[in-house]
Amino acid sequence: MQTSSFASKLNMASPLSHTLLQSSSLVAQGAEARVYKSSLTIGGPPFLLKHRFNKQYRHPSLDASLTRSRVAGEARALLKCLRSGVNVPGVRFVDASEGILGIEWIDGLSVRRLLPGGTEDEEDLDGESIHDPQAKLSAHGISVGNLMSLIGIELAKMHAADIIHGDLTTSNMMLRHLTKFQVPVGSSDSLQLVLIDFGLSYHSALVEDKAVDLYVLERAFASTHPESEPLFASVLQAYADRLGKEWSGVKRRLDDVRLRGRKRSMVG
Amino acid sequence: METYTFNAYPDHLNTAHVALFHNLKNAAALRAQIRAAATSPDEADRDAVNFAFVEPRLITSRLHLQTAIAQASLAAAQGNLRTKTVHSEILWALNPTNNITEALRRYGNSDTSTTLLVVRVGGMDVPAETVLKQMNEVAIGDVQPLDTLEALTDWSSVKKYHKLNNEVAIKTARDVNHEHQIVDNIVVTSVAMKSVVS
Ligand SMILES: Nc1ncnc2c1ncn2[C@@H]1O[C@H](COP(=O)(O)OP(=O)(O)OP(=O)(O)O)[C@@H](O)[C@H]1O
Ligand SMILES: [Mg+2]
Repeated sequence: MQTSSFASKLNMASPLSHTLLQSSSLVAQGAEARVYKSSLTIGGPPFLLKHRFNKQYRHPSLDASLTRSRVAGEARALLKCLRSGVNVPGVRFVDASEGILGIEWIDGLSVRRLLPGGTEDEEDLDGESIHDPQAKLSAHGISVGNLMSLIGIELAKMHAADIIHGDLTTSNMMLRHLTKFQVPVGSSDSLQLVLIDFGLSYHSALVEDKAVDLYVLERAFASTHPESEPLFASVLQAYADRLGKEWSGVKRRLDDVRLRGRKRSMVG
Repeated sequence: METYTFNAYPDHLNTAHVALFHNLKNAAALRAQIRAAATSPDEADRDAVNFAFVEPRLITSRLHLQTAIAQASLAAAQGNLRTKTVHSEILWALNPTNNITEALRRYGNSDTSTTLLVVRVGGMDVPAETVLKQMNEVAIGDVQPLDTLEALTDWSSVKKYHKLNNEVAIKTARDVNHEHQIVDNIVVTSVAMKSVVS
């Protein structure tokens, strides 16, 4: 068939996935993936569609198997998290041969955008509020301290299950507003911290890997939210409380990792 | 009966009709009819049972069934079916293991079924009323709204088949509704990603 060989030469998606992408709206464009809001059935629930597009400079068959294993890896990490009680979006659609992963749509904002420094257009806000970590959060009915605790708790649950995220930043966590329907009966929590983007995650029980995971997030706080850097201590406090006796090992290793990081930055 | 339209799918796979039967009267006869059709030289016999017959007690939500339909139809569209038809592929997609016989036994209809989900995947060319009529010709019972599915779910079997009983997520659920939400999400996830498991 002429069209399909033409399509494969151009590394285009197969007809089905191609039409799926065309009927979706672009949410974000990254270096390796494009992210869309999509839906499988008319009137069905929305989901987030992540398309790892082809790298022109890689060999097509190598690229296909690499893409396939990254999609598979991200999906498996999400399933492992769900089974371990970590708040993550569920998987909704997979077309691994086309590099497509559909995940549950999370209604809410990334933590990055909820903290000072996380958005570029902050001059719009008046004076002091820019530096007040609570300013943007008040509208969401949560204190900044509570938000930090929620982060620490999810990270501890994830590490207790020996899952390393691999790319912890404040844009890879979202504060979700649960609808009335989703809030468990007898519970007053309508906010949930959800970890996203498991594209670089892997399985490991090593304290070193857990410590590095935390260190990456600490650096992200420092560079993205300089005003909020002290808040990271609250993340660690909640993490420590939740993790229990494994914490002392991770803590010691985190101190090592920080030291190595400082030395490296002095040399570099 | 409900009809779902899968926007992006090819014309011959973009529509799924789903009916939920209560008070099924002919469970054993239906199974015999399906077995006979498989070896019948008459194509009309096979057309008459050209559906997926699904055990409603193992279905946790509409989304669960829709996800299985979507993955089965995707495999059909790409020429990657692991079973004979898109309808048997739905049962394969629902079962957590790779064992086809087990998939049909667990997720298909049995001689003692009293409730049944009947699914037809196809194009928009056949009107919904026609499909419903064809369903009523093979399944004798009362077609009820899909909202009644929720009350039929056998959560302990679902948890057993998906090996969820010892999972932290289940043990730490706050109450039974919360647990059902968690189980549903895990089950939908497992069905969606079955093509990349193992
Ligand atoms: N499940 C979801 N529901 C709603 N929005 C989401 C969801 N997952 C991700 N997003 C939004 O899309 C953005 C990109 O998603 P994600 O981080 O998974 O992809 P990515 O390609 O790795 O992007 P980046 O390189 O920016 O980290 C997120 O920062 C978030 O704002
Ligand atoms: Mg990201």
